[in-house]
Amino acid sequence: MRAAPGDDTTLVLGLGNPILGDDGVGWRVAEELEARIAGGGPGGDPHGTPRRVEVDRLSVGGLRLMERLIGYRRAIIVDAVETGTAPPGTVRRLRLDDLPVVGLDRLASAHDSSLAAALTLGRPLRAPLPETPWVVTVEAELGIEVGDRLTPAVEAAIPVATTAVLEMLADDEAPVDAGGTGSCTN
Amino acid sequence: MQRITIDPITRLEGHGRIEIFLDEQGEVANTYFQIPELRGFERFCVGRPVEEMPVLTNRICGVCPEAHHMAAAKAADAVYHVTPPRPARLLRELLYSGFYFTDHTTHFYALGGPDFIVGPDAPVAERSILGVVRKVGLEIGGKVIQARRSGHRVVEIIGGRGVHPATAVPGGMTSGITEEERAEIEAIGHWAVDFARGSLDIFDRIVLQDTGYRELLEGDAYTDRTYYMGLVDEGMHPNFYEGRVRVVAPDGEPLGTYAPAEYTDWIAERVEPWTYLKFPYLKRVGWKGFVDGKDSGVYVASPLSRLNVADGMATPLAQAEFERFFATLAPEPSAGGRHGMVHNRLATHWARLVELLYAAERLVELATDPEITSDDVRAVPTGTPTEGVGTVEAPRGTLTHHYWTDERGLITRVNMVVGTTNNYAPISMSVRRAAQSFIHAGTVVTDGLLNRVEMAFRSYDPCFGCATHSLPGQMPLEVTIHDADGGIVDVLRQYC
Repeated sequence: MRAAPGDDTTLVLGLGNPILGDDGVGWRVAEELEARIAGGGPGGDPHGTPRRVEVDRLSVGGLRLMERLIGYRRAIIVDAVETGTAPPGTVRRLRLDDLPVVGLDRLASAHDSSLAAALTLGRPLRAPLPETPWVVTVEAELGIEVGDRLTPAVEAAIPVATTAVLEMLADDEAPVDAGGTGSCTN
Repeated sequence: MQRITIDPITRLEGHGRIEIFLDEQGEVANTYFQIPELRGFERFCVGRPVEEMPVLTNRICGVCPEAHHMAAAKAADAVYHVTPPRPARLLRELLYSGFYFTDHTTHFYALGGPDFIVGPDAPVAERSILGVVRKVGLEIGGKVIQARRSGHRVVEIIGGRGVHPATAVPGGMTSGITEEERAEIEAIGHWAVDFARGSLDIFDRIVLQDTGYRELLEGDAYTDRTYYMGLVDEGMHPNFYEGRVRVVAPDGEPLGTYAPAEYTDWIAERVEPWTYLKFPYLKRVGWKGFVDGKDSGVYVASPLSRLNVADGMATPLAQAEFERFFATLAPEPSAGGRHGMVHNRLATHWARLVELLYAAERLVELATDPEITSDDVRAVPTGTPTEGVGTVEAPRGTLTHHYWTDERGLITRVNMVVGTTNNYAPISMSVRRAAQSFIHAGTVVTDGLLNRVEMAFRSYDPCFGCATHSLPGQMPLEVTIHDADGGIVDVLRQYC
């Protein structure tokens, strides 16, 4: 098993499918984040991340995503969303609770539950989980066309989203954009 | 009935979508079930080295990456005309058994459970995995999480990663396992056998001993008498990793077996104007429309079909459950003296648990094979690559990858028949049957309809590819009901 993370370790997860166009933006932000943290100094991480950070990429949701969060007090998830309420490339900082709680009472997909339902399941089972994962979303146009390129507006959002993650890492009460999340992502 | 052309390119592309058309009397004239498919995958693959395919294809789907990894590795073996050494095949099957254990556990408790353990008529708020845990208890909820972690652990040990394995390559595996790792997997296997038996006990207690559920399992509302398909070993037992594909008729008579590379001799694809997805059917029988019976080439590939085509299970505890399954649901022998055939789609949930037990027993068998820790895990390809087919049983149906390459091993063409595609026609038929039982004389029982339609397609454990990994993680389903004039009577939405 992977080593138990320390209390002060924040898990940053780039979520999405790297071969599904804009859906891969979470992975690209994770990549940029690793580069900036490794780089440090000028042009590197200007916020001097105060605590240990673990960066990972994932293409799953629901139970499997919840299981990946076990053992972390803090987690930041970066993902593409399609809300239709903002131009492509718009970056938002949210708490998971701010995302529409869809599927909490019902099955959320043909295969899995929503992350919110999975967290609700995990907590009474005494799984150590983040109180409320923070989320950085990038507005995108999500389709079902296979490809490893992002559209220009989403590509341009990578540094913005990466900075948002770094600022969240440096802040115990991470800033949260209010509302405006629309009702349904892909 | 008014003829209606449905444009498949709509704002709902990427979501499950059902169109129901009523006739002049307000009865169901027809239903259309549309599911999304990733586009452009073949184009994306062309020009890439075939050895990249096992890692690339497991990105197709966040639900069964292990199945694509294995089918791709086997197709790549075939492209290079190389047979992996026995220890490599054992390791692949061992990884795959760990994956099956996790996947079947998840389906039963998180997806099938709300239908059976909580019940189709329970309040909406209870019909979720949370409701299941409330019913069976927190202790079992904890075991479900433990079961998933154990299965992932097996995948992680052999596959290098817990989610998207990366170690199966043309000719075998990149590395073997140590004695310490073997012992860990064996211990997981013993635990898994107990867990699977406990799950069958729960099914027995909550479902089989309940009169209402028994009626659902034995009634006709979810029954279509179709052909069945599944990979079998030489003894006609199901095998998830390798074997020949056996096809059996609705009356139980075997139609034959074929090697995976011969799939184009057996399977043809029907194109319908209202969906991009094609409907595979048995060439020898022919396409007769969305109907069941021995003259219709519609077939099912699922846990239920794998039991129907098998003559038994390869492990002792699963064999006992196999016998109990058929003795309970189809006590009369079928054509040629084989066991009876079970056609009720809801029985797939029970069949899945029989397979869960088999996967658990197989974990122990493979982990205790004397060759499992051997270093002889790869036959390095030396031949000129050409063309190859790889087939495994994905949890949700027979999965085939077919690649063509140039002499440098660069992909020139790709064809895939994925688990859910096999079942597209029978799922559509089950959805229609469910709609017919809940719509009469123009009266739509909205709650019941949604639940019953869900139950119909969920028993197949269909995979909706790309829509499964996103935040917040819902898979919207929309049902549109049209009257005889094509006007919209009602739109029912779920999750959205």
